[in-house]
Amino acid sequence: MASIEYLILFLVGASFIGYFLTKLNTTVGSIFTIFATMFVFASLSMYGFNMNLETAVNILPGFSFTQTYLGFYFVIIIAFIYLMVSFFHPYYVGTYKYKDSYNMLFLLSLAGILGAFFTDNFLQLFFFFELIIWTTMFLIPQGKSKEAAISYFGFSVAGSVALLTGIFMIFSQTGTFVIADGLQGLSGSTSIVVFALFLIAAFAKLGAFPMHIWLPIAHGNAPHPFSPVLSGALVKLGAFIGILALVNIAPSTGMFTAINLPIGQYIVGILGSLSIIFGTLMAIKEDDAKKLLAYSSMSHGGYILVAFSLLDSIGFAGGFYHILAHAVASAAAFMAIAAVARATGTTKMKELGGIIHKMPITYIAYLVAIISMAGIPPMGGFISKWLIFQSVIDKGLIFIGIAVFFGSIGSFLYVFRPLATLFLGQEFTEYKKIKEQPIIMLIPTVILILMNIYTGIFPAAILKFINNIIAELGYSTLTITTFEITGHNGVLNPAVISLVFGVGVVVAFIIFILLKKSRKVDLMDTYTAANFVHDEHLLHYSTDFYAPLERLYEKQSHWMTTFYEALKQKVKDIGRLGKYLFMSRNIATAIVWMIVVVIFLLIGVIL
Amino acid sequence: MSIILLIAVPLLAAFISIIFKKIATYLLVAVGIFNLVVLFIAPMGVITIGGFTPPIGISLLFDTYSQFSLVLINALIIIIALLNCKSFNKYSGILLLAMASLNGLLLTNDLFNLFVFLEIAGIAAYLITTSNKKPLKTFHYLILGAVGSSLFLFGVVILYSMFGTLNMVDMIIKINNTNNYDQLILPFTLMFIGLGVEAKLLPFNSWVKGVLGKSNTLSGPMIASVYAAAMSFVLGRYITNLFMFEGNLLLVVTVLLSLGILIGEAMAFQSTKARKILLFSSVAQASIIALLFVNGVVIWAVYYIIAAALSKLVLFLVINKATKEVGNDNLDNLQGLFSNNILVGLTFTLATLSVMGMPLLVGFVIKLNFLTQLAAASQIWLVVIILVASVVEGIYFVRMLVKLWYKGKEQINVKYHISFKIVFVLVAAVLLVLGTYKAPLDNYDSTIDTVSQEVINNG
Repeated sequence: MASIEYLILFLVGASFIGYFLTKLNTTVGSIFTIFATMFVFASLSMYGFNMNLETAVNILPGFSFTQTYLGFYFVIIIAFIYLMVSFFHPYYVGTYKYKDSYNMLFLLSLAGILGAFFTDNFLQLFFFFELIIWTTMFLIPQGKSKEAAISYFGFSVAGSVALLTGIFMIFSQTGTFVIADGLQGLSGSTSIVVFALFLIAAFAKLGAFPMHIWLPIAHGNAPHPFSPVLSGALVKLGAFIGILALVNIAPSTGMFTAINLPIGQYIVGILGSLSIIFGTLMAIKEDDAKKLLAYSSMSHGGYILVAFSLLDSIGFAGGFYHILAHAVASAAAFMAIAAVARATGTTKMKELGGIIHKMPITYIAYLVAIISMAGIPPMGGFISKWLIFQSVIDKGLIFIGIAVFFGSIGSFLYVFRPLATLFLGQEFTEYKKIKEQPIIMLIPTVILILMNIYTGIFPAAILKFINNIIAELGYSTLTITTFEITGHNGVLNPAVISLVFGVGVVVAFIIFILLKKSRKVDLMDTYTAANFVHDEHLLHYSTDFYAPLERLYEKQSHWMTTFYEALKQKVKDIGRLGKYLFMSRNIATAIVWMIVVVIFLLIGVIL
Repeated sequence: MSIILLIAVPLLAAFISIIFKKIATYLLVAVGIFNLVVLFIAPMGVITIGGFTPPIGISLLFDTYSQFSLVLINALIIIIALLNCKSFNKYSGILLLAMASLNGLLLTNDLFNLFVFLEIAGIAAYLITTSNKKPLKTFHYLILGAVGSSLFLFGVVILYSMFGTLNMVDMIIKINNTNNYDQLILPFTLMFIGLGVEAKLLPFNSWVKGVLGKSNTLSGPMIASVYAAAMSFVLGRYITNLFMFEGNLLLVVTVLLSLGILIGEAMAFQSTKARKILLFSSVAQASIIALLFVNGVVIWAVYYIIAAALSKLVLFLVINKATKEVGNDNLDNLQGLFSNNILVGLTFTLATLSVMGMPLLVGFVIKLNFLTQLAAASQIWLVVIILVASVVEGIYFVRMLVKLWYKGKEQINVKYHISFKIVFVLVAAVLLVLGTYKAPLDNYDSTIDTVSQEVINNG
């Protein structure tokens, strides 16, 4: 039996050991981190799937844990991503300024994750939330930009403060901090306010519109091995809070009877759709591969919100499956980009090209990941999007339907751009000497490739577990056989699709073998416009790839950034006003204020 | 051992130190330690002086509330004196005076006596701030302090003319019998403003900017940590027991304090100088503390004062020492302060996280508990105000931390003496231990303040 409490304590202890080991030797400390994460992941997967974790608390005072299918599903996905990423540490941590604290904070934040999903109490949930925020906040400035940490922290804290306010509103109405009781006991207008507050927290953590601007800043500038954690794991905290609110709170708003959805949930669905659309449009514009993936995370966060706002078990199944599929896919994609960045020192697409010749496995990892993100069989993203589409169509939600399909088509446009320019584009002379990732980094890369394919071909085992969660949430479960998933208006057999797909690939391969071999020429052995091409960069076609499309919305794309800049400026203005009014050099001002207060009160008495 | 020694001995020592200047620092430390010993062996309760039974004569009230505050203040004064024994060796006599007056403030049960100690404490504070070498700012502080204590005295005079007593317990009994709160609004407002000037409450605190914004390793921690804590304790005792705000007065006070929290954080957010950020953040903290007392959350307010005093001690010491060596306190000029001072950086970070109320540190435990009590009292708007302010606070503190940890254009080099480091580590350890093991905090509740008990006994 693995006890949740001991696992958390183990991680806390391991984080300090990791600190000292990293201080002695970066590689030793990083390898220790791998094993510590592996131990936690192994213990969780050994006992957790059957709900056999020990929840009793012996040492930590005041804490209490419970295991739910919902919490475990998140924990196991996040622990998996942490484990995969930890394999990258030996090659990256040594280059950071405060490397000894890197492994420590990494493990400490995983301890926070375990606590956050296993706790049964709101205050502890908040405790672990804040713990995760401040431990991860110190990891981000070790990357490219120091300011990225501030915007990450600002939005995260705004989210957790909204969460805490909601918690206290629940407490003042129901008198309890127990999550299950508190959510059930809500009624009246408080339920609407709490619903809204929890969703603010969810949107802030998930990076959904309109609280998304930290996402590209943090993902794009975070240390390379930390971006996959942010995108694959940490934003899922927002999804968790979103599920608590969307599924467990029934805000006493009215119903849209035609679509059988409460207004609150419908609004969230619309906002989720906006996240999908804006995320897609912004990703199309982006030149930095990591920022592009960050916007794609925003758009996928939108899918998750849409899925859980539908209040329908097929939609829920799609949402849960999407959480897994996106975690695996975005981790694979970010890690592929991280590996490229390690070899070349840049993530800007216009500076990269032809990496496939040197890093073929990294290329395959990225390829598989983007196929999954775009929702194309035979990868996991297809299954989840199929389920979500089923549910959206069945409910007859036209606007949301347009958005989810737009997001799917749009993701073709942007995910293939890094593929085409960064991996397939022209090979530059400066990258002639780079090598494929070292063997330890290839381990998680290969595992993630296999996971992406597995989730796309054999979803039954995972969906059966998801069925447990859906039953736990009080909804009817899906009909699943070994090979088939039954939706609202059709049956999906992913194995057959994959088989057809595989046959297609084999046929294509045979044709490729049989046809006449093309002559291999040097890259520069060409001419254009009657001129000899003297520099391979001129053959690069990634800059302004979608310029005509981008021109449609280039003026609008800064609106939200401007809004938050203005908000920051307003707070500063209030501060300046406060200094002017109360902190004047002239001491008479303070005396005037004293007199004003006294007079004000005396008038109050007389009246 | 009577608790009166806590006032008498430092006062005597202050006079002796004028004659024997060389031993002044040793005298200060010895007196401080003596005070700490007395604090643990002196009997609790009402102590009469000169054989006059209350309400006649002056009496002192020594309970757990004053014990907490006195231990904190005497210990902090010793620490600050020891850290500054080289750079500010002439100030020992003044620190002894400050010690005597602050002890008196926290012990006295007599309103006029309180005014006397307020004035003495003020004089000591003005003298301490002369070490900033900014005479005009000190003069502003002096003027405002004098106005504040006169208003306090004015309030006391009105109360005396109404009830004919100066003894606090006796006064409360008499007030309870009158049931006419309207007549009390004027004296209470005047007294609140008087104490509010010293406790840094907005809008009576314009002296803070000049004094703390130019502070050094002596005046910074003395004013921001020791004086702030002492004044908050005094204000807390009077808000809880004597003022008991209601009606219009409650409304005005709540609005003022809420504005103090929000505007204080906004002013800190707008500042780019390290000391300004810290001082405006303590303005907001002072308002939060007063707000907690107004809402009867006594015990967590007490812990909050203690945690704030300890963290602010570290923050001001680190920043003021760095400012002295670098020449100014622009955050941009202090970039990379911690790259060569990992230990100092670590303790500074922990202290900051505690102020921000981040988990694993005691600030989180305190914040969560007082917010819970406010929510239980259905004061959800106050919860919202404090939380919104804490977002702003978090952002500027993180901005500051990131700047201090990562170096800018040039590397700055600041050396911290080992004695500073010991203090930093001790404070950080306390914040961390109590943040993870909160059982000791649960040993006490709001009954540590025994004034209401005394009122019942005598009334």
